[in-house]
Amino acid sequence: MIVGFALYPLAYEALLATPAAPFAEAFLPAITFMVVVLYTGLFAMSFDFISGYTGYLSFGHAAFYGTGAYFVVLAANGQVPGIPGGTPFMITLLLGAVVAGLLALVIGSVSFRLTGVYFAMITLGFAQVIYELIRSWGYVSTNPTEGATVSGDALAIGVPYVDALSLDVGRLTGESVENLLGLGIDLSTTVVSYYALGIVVVGCYFAMQRILHSPFGRVMIAIRENEERARAVGYPTYRFKLAAFAISGFFGAVAGGVFAAYSRSVAPDGTFYFLVTADALITTIIGGFGTLAGPVFGTLFTQGLEDVLSTESGGVATLLREGLPANVLEADLFGVSLELFVNTAVDGRAPLYLGIIFVLFVLFVPNGILGTLRDRLGGTVGKRLPDYLRRYRR
Amino acid sequence: MSLAPLAGAAPQIASLVDPGALLATGGAVDGLRTAARVLAEGIGKGAVYFTIAVGLTLVFGLMGVLNFAHGAVAMVGAYLGGLVLVLVVGANTGTLATILVFFVALALVFAVTTAAGSAMEVALIRPIYDRTPTYQILLTFGVSLIIEEVARIVLTLRGIQPNPQWQAPMGTAPDVLLGRTELFGVGVRRLYLFEVAIGALVAVAVWAFLTKTLYGLYIRAGSEDTEMVQALGIDVRQAFTVVFGVGTGLAAVGGVLLMWDPIWGPSVLLSIDVLLYAFVVVIIGGLGSFTGTLVAAGIVGIADSVTTWLFTTGIVTFPGLSEVTIFLLLVVMLIIRPQGLYGVEEVGGH
Repeated sequence: MIVGFALYPLAYEALLATPAAPFAEAFLPAITFMVVVLYTGLFAMSFDFISGYTGYLSFGHAAFYGTGAYFVVLAANGQVPGIPGGTPFMITLLLGAVVAGLLALVIGSVSFRLTGVYFAMITLGFAQVIYELIRSWGYVSTNPTEGATVSGDALAIGVPYVDALSLDVGRLTGESVENLLGLGIDLSTTVVSYYALGIVVVGCYFAMQRILHSPFGRVMIAIRENEERARAVGYPTYRFKLAAFAISGFFGAVAGGVFAAYSRSVAPDGTFYFLVTADALITTIIGGFGTLAGPVFGTLFTQGLEDVLSTESGGVATLLREGLPANVLEADLFGVSLELFVNTAVDGRAPLYLGIIFVLFVLFVPNGILGTLRDRLGGTVGKRLPDYLRRYRR
Repeated sequence: MSLAPLAGAAPQIASLVDPGALLATGGAVDGLRTAARVLAEGIGKGAVYFTIAVGLTLVFGLMGVLNFAHGAVAMVGAYLGGLVLVLVVGANTGTLATILVFFVALALVFAVTTAAGSAMEVALIRPIYDRTPTYQILLTFGVSLIIEEVARIVLTLRGIQPNPQWQAPMGTAPDVLLGRTELFGVGVRRLYLFEVAIGALVAVAVWAFLTKTLYGLYIRAGSEDTEMVQALGIDVRQAFTVVFGVGTGLAAVGGVLLMWDPIWGPSVLLSIDVLLYAFVVVIIGGLGSFTGTLVAAGIVGIADSVTTWLFTTGIVTFPGLSEVTIFLLLVVMLIIRPQGLYGVEEVGGH
């Protein structure tokens, strides 16, 4: 899986050089979209960490993503008291994540007295309050509804204070590497950002995986399955839930932080808003609720769909427009030409098809891609796949 | 039957900032008048909040389903109602005729969306009753995504921009409603009176539905104890279908009411806005409680108008004040009394 992610940019570049290029451009996600997969995937994982493993739907999870993103941007602009402007990104990222973890403790301490729909609603309420505050807070920038931008240098992922071991990220401001290790491979800024973000995401994935496989993680699952029994056995479930929520908020903020470093600007609608949580929810359900890697597959799926349907890097709409004969394009369809229909109903309309797929998943594949796959195989893919392959080899 | 030329119709939006509020300075009588005006506006806003929230609480009360498609249906209602008015009402249509057309549109939209809601319940929600409530939230949320995107596609194809408000329906509001009327010595915008009238109408209709009809009896009994109702031989599944349909229809009625309101107006963004505000009202009042929704709508409406007044007079310079206050009300209510003002403790399993 990780190897697949690591080799993808090279394979994509190679494919673009072949005659299959138009189709590859139309149906494979571009590297810019793969970067989005990384940070939204990490955010979805952090959402799944609390919602999928303890069963408490955190509808205000965007609050942590936004905290991480805003903290990084404000710290880079020297607007956070006590932190000088030039502090390395890795340190501000960690600090922002700690702040978000503390915020999760505060929100959780009152929210975990409730369960079910009420828990979802109170976390949503908190996130909306913060969203409205940030939207109107003049300190952030002169136009707070539009958000803030990083005014200084590029932010670097790596070892702080060691220039050789850190890489600047960003689509325009990032570093590009030429002739990597003398192998004759050039990496563009986007690809470098992709790998730099990838390192952070993989690190976070293993950290969360470790927590979930520890006794602590078993208690989280016990809370999901039967909280009263877990309490009866003697676990202080309230404290466990609170700790899990703080960890989840921490990683959610890391996702927000790397997003802010890559995009160099944050807006309330893209960070603190309800729909940010909703996106994580959708990808988590499609990928597999209660499986840590599932959300990444879900994000890959949804972002892939979005890339295929958008024209930014050549998608289905472009392919249709170029591939179909003119008389077909001008054919009448309820008073509008087919071309206009393609432009409006296909181009950038991913949420529609995503909504349909999402409803179908909820109805027929409630365990998501990875959950269903594991049910079929009878265990995690990594453990069961060799057996299956061995069976077919005979 | 293209709508494109109508999109450019002259916008007739009443000024959002109340000139009366700016004049209200000093003097006990003036202070009293301002208070009365703010209260009247609050009740007007409360009527709107009630109309958009009542369907949500009805559905939750009986079925325990939190309908996330509620806002999307309200958005569709606003557009459909606007469509009817734009098609029928011309420059020469009289005031009374316009209001008559408004009511016809209201009835028409209600009928269509009630049928659609019932169909949705049978086709999509019925198969997943035995799963955890999370899946009903997810399913209705998915439906809301689809409705929203289809609306965007239709609007773009017809040349009406999706995001900004569609001005044409607001242009059909009769001039009488745009003025002010003297009431107890204060000038109250007539639109608010109209909204209060519609809100009262909806409240009475829902109340009659709950207390005078057989289905109302099922709902009230079912929200107390669904299993017992089933044991008494009542087909709860059929009642679910009817109630979900009516709840959806009421959402659309709320949408039609928003169509003439300059603060809202038909726009795709209504989908999320209506949903979030309806949640606040329903949670504060108590999930599943009709009286609670009525009282909570009044509280939220008055809180909204007071904070709006505080901002427009410059006492508070924070622009997001009224939104922050409304969501804070939600959070505070959930902390001190999770079941809401009139809610039953067991509902929703908190």
